[in-house]
Amino acid sequence: MYIRAEYEKREQLKYISHLELMNTFRKTFRRAEIPVKYSQGYNPHIIFSMSQPLPVGMIGFHEYFDLELKEKNSLGLIKDKINKSLPFGLKVIDVVIIDEKEKSLQAVVNTAIYSYEMSFNSETIKQESLLNDFLNEKKIEITRFRRNKENRMIDLAPMIYNGRVLNDNIWEFTISTGSSGNVRPQEVIRALKSNTKGLIREIPLVNIKRLGMYIKKGGRLYKPTNKEVLKKEVSKS
Amino acid sequence: MKVRDEIYNKLINVSKPERYIGNEYNIIKKNWQKDSIKVLTAFPDVYEIGMSHLGLKIIYHLLNKEDNIICERVFSPWPDLEELLRKENLPIFSLETNRSVDEFDILAFTLQYEMSYTNILTILNLAGLNFYSSQRKEDDPLIIAGGSIVSNIEPVALFFDFVFIGEVEDCLIDIINRYNSLKNEGLEKKDILKKMAKIPGIYVPSLYNVDYNNQGVIKNIVPVDNNIKDNIKRQVVSDLDQAFYPEKFLVPYMDIVHDRAVVEISRGCTRGCRFCLAGMTYRPTRERKKKTLLKLIDNILKNTGYDEVSLTSLSTVDHTQIKELIRDLTAKYEDKKISVSLSSLRVDRFSVQLAKEVQKVRKTGLTFAPEAGTDRLRNVINKGVSEEDLYKAVEAAFKEGWSTIKLYFMVGLPTENRDDLIGIVNMVQTVLKRGKEIRKTSNKSMKPIRINVSISTFIPKAATPFQWEAMIDKDKLKEKIDFLRSKLNRKGINFSWNDEDLSRLESIFSRGDRKLTDVIVSAWERGARFDGWGDFFDYGIWLDAFTDNDLDWKFYLRERNMNEILPWNHIEMGLNPEFLKKEYDKALKSKLTPDCRFNKCKSCNICFNLDIDLDVVGNDYNVYKG
Repeated sequence: MYIRAEYEKREQLKYISHLELMNTFRKTFRRAEIPVKYSQGYNPHIIFSMSQPLPVGMIGFHEYFDLELKEKNSLGLIKDKINKSLPFGLKVIDVVIIDEKEKSLQAVVNTAIYSYEMSFNSETIKQESLLNDFLNEKKIEITRFRRNKENRMIDLAPMIYNGRVLNDNIWEFTISTGSSGNVRPQEVIRALKSNTKGLIREIPLVNIKRLGMYIKKGGRLYKPTNKEVLKKEVSKS
Repeated sequence: MKVRDEIYNKLINVSKPERYIGNEYNIIKKNWQKDSIKVLTAFPDVYEIGMSHLGLKIIYHLLNKEDNIICERVFSPWPDLEELLRKENLPIFSLETNRSVDEFDILAFTLQYEMSYTNILTILNLAGLNFYSSQRKEDDPLIIAGGSIVSNIEPVALFFDFVFIGEVEDCLIDIINRYNSLKNEGLEKKDILKKMAKIPGIYVPSLYNVDYNNQGVIKNIVPVDNNIKDNIKRQVVSDLDQAFYPEKFLVPYMDIVHDRAVVEISRGCTRGCRFCLAGMTYRPTRERKKKTLLKLIDNILKNTGYDEVSLTSLSTVDHTQIKELIRDLTAKYEDKKISVSLSSLRVDRFSVQLAKEVQKVRKTGLTFAPEAGTDRLRNVINKGVSEEDLYKAVEAAFKEGWSTIKLYFMVGLPTENRDDLIGIVNMVQTVLKRGKEIRKTSNKSMKPIRINVSISTFIPKAATPFQWEAMIDKDKLKEKIDFLRSKLNRKGINFSWNDEDLSRLESIFSRGDRKLTDVIVSAWERGARFDGWGDFFDYGIWLDAFTDNDLDWKFYLRERNMNEILPWNHIEMGLNPEFLKKEYDKALKSKLTPDCRFNKCKSCNICFNLDIDLDVVGNDYNVYKG
C-alpha cells in the first residue's frame, strides 16, 4: 500500500536540512513501528520520497511525502502512530492512499505559495500599487547564481502567477516550482529590490514561509492529496 | 534571561544552525521550579562531538530522572556563533530552555581531550564568568568537571571549584543533593567546598598548595589543612550490570560522529597495553550480562528508531559472552534491517568471524591496531600481538570479502628504532600483497584492495607506565613520518598522520602542571579556539603564550626522574606506583605481562586499592581474583 502524507515543519525544525529531515522521518517510522517496505539489495532503505526541499531556515505548513507500506493499514492509525513519534515541530496533518503507479511528488508539484515578511519604509511606499506594477511587468529579469556553474539571466515574469498584500508588511506570492520552471523564493525579493531601486529591501530567509505546495492544472491549484488529481486506487488482490 | 527569542532567527547566519536548536526526540524539558537544583552540563567541543560522548548522555539522563534536579546541555559555539553572540551582546544559552548560565546552580564540564581546554574558557567567558575559581563571585554557579582525562587535570584545575575523579554514576545524585543542602544552609562557597572535599572522589584544587623548586619541578603538593585528605581516590562503579544506563537516548538531527544506538557492554580492560591511558585508568574489567544487554538494546532501539547498534567497550571482542550476544542480536534484528557494529576488534581471526556475523547487512571497512612494526616493540608496549596474528586476521577478512582494511600504528614509542619503522612498512606491504593474492583467486569482480594506514604520535600519559618517558623530538618525529610516507606512498595505500606540533601540545598538557593554567588563558586571549581542529590550530599562538608567561615548553616534554613528585601525585587512579615502575622496567626489557583475566593477578592492586572485584560474566573463563 502506498500513502501520501501532508505535514508541517515548524519552530526550531526550520533549521534542519532536507537530508536530516528525511533521516528524522525514517527514524520516526521505526519508532512508530510503521510496517514500512525496504528496498531490495545490498543496502536496504525505506521506500520513501518527498516533495521539493525546503531551504534551511524556512518553515513549511503544507509539505508532502510518499511512503510504501508492507500491508494495508488504517490511515487514522498510521497518522496517529507517526504523530506520537515525531519530534516537536513536525506534524502529519492528513494521510491518503495513492495508487502504486502515482507519479512522484517532485514530478507533479509545480506551484508553491510563500508568505514574505517584507522590509521597506512604510511611509514612502504604497504597497498595493507597487506590487501591481511589479506583477504587470512583461519581463522580470534577474541573475540566477548557480553552484559550480556559470550565472545566467532568467525571466521571472511567466513564473510568478500571483501576488497580494495580506496585511501590514506581509505579502504573498504564488510561484512556479519544480523541474518545469523553478523560482527560488528569495529571487522574488531580489527582483523587487532592483525594480523599485532599493525601496524594497532584501530580507533574511527566515522571513519567508512556504504556505503550501500545489499541482496547477487547468488554471486551478490542487493539493497533491486531492482526489481530483490522484489516480483512482487500483486495489491489488 | 531567556535568550531564545533574540537568538532564534539570527541562527540563519551561522553554519550548521541545527547544532543549537535542541528539540531532539526524547529531549527533557522540565518545568523551571524555584526549588529544583539546576545543572547545566557543558561539553567543550561542538555538538556533534559532544553528543557522541557516552558519559555525557549517562549524566544527562541520570540527573533528569530525579524529580528535584533539572539537567540541561550546552556545547561549544563554533567561532561564527561566538562572534554573533558577542556582536549581539548575548550570553551562551542552554539547548533545552535557552537559558543563560547564571540561571543554573551548577555548570558541569565533561573533559575528554586536552586540546579542548581553550573551549572551556570560551564557554565561561560567554557566560560572563571569571576563569579562575578563586576570582568568581559567591553567587556564581558552582563550576565542576569530570571525565576521562582527570588522571592529570592540573593544567586546568584552578578553573574549577571541584573535579570528580572516576566513575560518577553511583554517587552523582548524592553529590548534587549534598551541595544543594549545604548551599541552602547559607554557608559560604569556601566552606561548602571544604565539606564537599570530604566526599570520596571529590578533588577541590584550591585546597592543595603546590610548591616548586627553582627548576620548576614540584617540591610538594600539600593540603591547606589537616582536615583535607592527602590523596583523592578514583571512584568506580562496582556493579556495572546493575548500574544506571539510559534507554531514552536523545536522537540528534545532525549526522553526529556516532549516530547510532550505543550500548556499553563492559568497562575497563586488563590487556595491559602500557601506552594506554584508558586501559590503565578504567580497571578492573566489569561486564554487563547478556540478558541485561539484550533488554537495554531492545528498549534503546524502540525509543530512538536507530537502525544500528554499536557494542562499545575498550575491547569489545573480549566480553566473555560476546559470541552468544552477537548470535542472539543477529537472529533478533536481521529482519528489521538493524545492524550491529563493534567498536573495537582484536587482531585475530575470532574478531573477523564476529565481524562477519554482524556485518551480514552492511559491509564497511575493518580496523586493526597492531600499534608497532616489530614483535619486539609490540612486547615493549605489551600489545601481545605477533606479525603472524595480523596476517591471519587480514587474510580471514579478505577471504570473507572485505576490501578495505584500516591499520593503526604509533610512532615515537620508547626504544623505537629504524627496524621498527621498516617493520611497519613491511607489514603494510605484506597485508596489501596478501589481499591482492586472495583477490586473484576469487572469481567475483570486487572493489580493489585498499589499506588505510593511520599513524598517531605516541604521547606519554599520566598514570601509565610510560609517564616518565620523554616525548619524541619534533625533528626526529618528522624524520620518521617522512620515512614512512616515502615508503608507503603507493597505489592501494592511504596514509594519514598527526600534526607534529599538535601532538607536542597535547603531550605538554598530558603531563603538565598548574603553571600551564596562565598559558591556556594567554593563548585563549590571543585567539586560540578549537585547537584540536586542524583548521584552527595555531602553534604560533601557543609559543607566544608560553613566552607571555616566561615558561619553557621543553620542560614539559622531558624525561621525568623516577623520584620526581609528578603534578598528579595526589590523584590516586588505583594502580600501585610500584606496579607502574615494574611495568616500565619490563617494557625496556621487552617483556610481556599477561592479562589478569586469563592468568593470575599481576598485582596492579586496583582491586585492593579501590575495593572492587574483576567482574566477568562468562562461565568458562579461568579468573583469579586479586
